[in-house]
Amino acid sequence: MARGRDTLKAAPRVEFGSRTSRRLRRSGRVPGVVYSGGSEARPFQVAEREVRAVLAGGQALFDLELEGAKRVPVVVKEQQLHPVRDSLQHIDLQEVKLDEAIQAEVAVELEGAEVSPGVKEGGVLEHVTREITVEALPTEIPERLVADVSAMEINDTLQLSTVAVPEGVTLIAEDPEEVTIATLSPPRVEEEPEPAVEEEAELVGEEGEAPAAELVGEEGEGAESGDSGGE
Amino acid sequence: MLMPKRVKYRKQMRGRMRGNTKGGSNVAFGEYGLKSLERGWITNRQIEAARIAMTRKIKRGGKVWINIFPDKPYTKKPAETRMGSGKGNLEGWVAVVKPGKVMFELAGVPEDLAREALRLAGHKLPVKVKFVVREGAE
Repeated sequence: MARGRDTLKAAPRVEFGSRTSRRLRRSGRVPGVVYSGGSEARPFQVAEREVRAVLAGGQALFDLELEGAKRVPVVVKEQQLHPVRDSLQHIDLQEVKLDEAIQAEVAVELEGAEVSPGVKEGGVLEHVTREITVEALPTEIPERLVADVSAMEINDTLQLSTVAVPEGVTLIAEDPEEVTIATLSPPRVEEEPEPAVEEEAELVGEEGEAPAAELVGEEGEGAESGDSGGE
Repeated sequence: MLMPKRVKYRKQMRGRMRGNTKGGSNVAFGEYGLKSLERGWITNRQIEAARIAMTRKIKRGGKVWINIFPDKPYTKKPAETRMGSGKGNLEGWVAVVKPGKVMFELAGVPEDLAREALRLAGHKLPVKVKFVVREGAE
């Protein structure tokens, strides 16, 4: 948090709708909206490269400078990505007050997996909970929380209560003892050749007749008499 | 092999596969995933072949998720049969996959091994695929 906050420069958006948004995206800009409790939502457009640069910075809080309006601190509320290209389609920002605590999702990272005795024995470390909700002042929201798994052995479970939380940050979980961050399970036993053989046998039976799936209710299709009548 | 235990109707119409996937475009359970870049029908045999290829590569350890399920029956008429006389016999089960769908996920293995395992799995599938990493886990 030592460096200053990033600033995102955006222009207001006056035309709406899917056609306009599509044209906007084609020209390298992204539609977005900024809202806060009380005031009306303000739609804006911004260059995708600039948003990417700000988001890549990893800071939860940054400033939005809308043309013709004063600079306001915001957090990202939602991002919509293209399912195939992963390009940004739309961004929701929420204006925050710097002296009021907000709730935010923070990533939990695992540290020390390489030196953990359980992993060395071949156990599988599973990261169960990857994000948790915390409450803090916007300036104090951590980029990530770190959970130490270096002492985990096989069949161990790491709870949220063992994760160190910086001062000023509160975890929003009913019972941190009940939230599992990571588990270390024994290595999977190889079940290699069996399924392959089984498959073949199953295929033959399946091909000859009707499917193995059972019919629910009646469909009135007594038997498949009509299909093989080709002459 | 994956197939429904019971179905309401034995035969289905083929349907259309327009647009991109509606959901399931992010890695949700594991750390790495195999995303489809095309649309198509993935049969239960192809899913099984991909799963076997993947688990053989990672040997022990690691965890695999299969996010697609072949719940659509497809039919085929016997060879050298004249057209008509109703819909063909049931031939197998497929999962309908649209562009953007993360079909397989992996966790608990190093990235290079996951990449190789998913590459091998991708060769068993009838669609173009790409390797994806969970968001924020670079």
